[in-house]
Amino acid sequence: MKTTKIYEGTHQWIMFGRDEGKPSNIIDTNQYVVRTANRCLLLDPGGAELFAPMMAAVLHHAPVDQITDLFASHQDPDVISSLGLWDQALTNARLHAPAIWEGFLRHYSCESIEYVPIPDNGGTIKLESVELQIIPAHYLHSSGNFHVYDPQAKILMSGDVGAAFEAPDSPVFVDNFAVHVEKMRHWHQRMMPSNQAKRVWIERVRNLDIDILAPQHGRMFRGDDVKRFLDWFDALQVGIAV
Amino acid sequence: MTNQTKSQFIAVASITSELSAVMVVAKEISLAAANAKAIAFRAGDKAKGFQPITDFINELAKETIELVTNINIYALVLYRLTVNEFQKTTAYNKFELAAKMAESDGAVYANTMQGPVDHARLSMQDCQRQFKRDVSQLLGQLEAVMHHARAARVIAANSRIEASQAGEYLQSLQAVAESVDKAAHTIHDNVQRCRIALSIYRNS
Repeated sequence: MKTTKIYEGTHQWIMFGRDEGKPSNIIDTNQYVVRTANRCLLLDPGGAELFAPMMAAVLHHAPVDQITDLFASHQDPDVISSLGLWDQALTNARLHAPAIWEGFLRHYSCESIEYVPIPDNGGTIKLESVELQIIPAHYLHSSGNFHVYDPQAKILMSGDVGAAFEAPDSPVFVDNFAVHVEKMRHWHQRMMPSNQAKRVWIERVRNLDIDILAPQHGRMFRGDDVKRFLDWFDALQVGIAV
Repeated sequence: MTNQTKSQFIAVASITSELSAVMVVAKEISLAAANAKAIAFRAGDKAKGFQPITDFINELAKETIELVTNINIYALVLYRLTVNEFQKTTAYNKFELAAKMAESDGAVYANTMQGPVDHARLSMQDCQRQFKRDVSQLLGQLEAVMHHARAARVIAANSRIEASQAGEYLQSLQAVAESVDKAAHTIHDNVQRCRIALSIYRNS
């Protein structure tokens, strides 16, 4: 599992991905960790297949008992089908996830972890002195969907928005936006169902000060590529399968 | 999923399937008892010896239905336990793998995985013990059903003797005896299959 520290300040952001041991027939995912002095938040911790390498990678940064929070942007298995395993490994943790998916996500087993339902208008996750904003991203692509914004680190974890699929050894940041666009186009057109939802999200996100846009698949965007992505996505017609 | 786990799931599922067939047959016995009672009533003195037998048959059918209903509830508990054991075993294997990976990569906090590994192992072993205990109890309940099936066969034999003295009602009452005997055979065979499927887990 490749590990990249993407922010270092009063707290840290670490990106995990490009797992070499991953079965070839499952989708590649990025996991993110926000690490404060005594706590650790896992953002979209991944599928059950990924649990062991992900846990092993996290243990470089935090002991098990300091993994106190999980966040699931939505209900898909590549996002959170590992929940049943985290549930057994962590004795004192909370899962922040969309309220509308609670009854669904509990199918993965969630007995010891406390389910903290996120209402439709979002909220915050407090991790010691760090306060993260939960940004609504409904219908992008899931009908109950959230992203996480860190105003201090200026990072937006954007779930499936900005996702792309490429070789396991590809770099973690976009280095040529024009080339990268073609790796994203079909995904966004096919998976994102609503132009209206997309417009509302872009308006909301344009008001945030973002240095890094961090999707759940593919490469992250930084600097000017963040604005390039928002402009490109703004102009894109989505929901093409109907 | 290991072959052992697969077999365990199949064994537990097959109990429910076999027992639903037993339930149908037990209801048939109950119906046969009602039928026999009506015939014996019409036959009057000619079927005097048959009349108390019909009550036995009915009672036996009722008890069998009750037993099977309880066993089905128990089988559901056993199924949930199997699912639980599967989840605990999966967790234990994944935790152990994570611990090994973290250790071989030199992760600073690799040793903190030991707690979850130990806990998962204990939970898994608890489930295995509980499963064996429950299987033993279920086998005991299945034995009770077998006992009922054997009693039904004795009753069927007695019914044949009584039927032979019932004059023109001989054929009808023999048919009742036949159906009870056949039903008892079916119950015996189905329950026996359940016992064979489960017995390997009692001492495994």
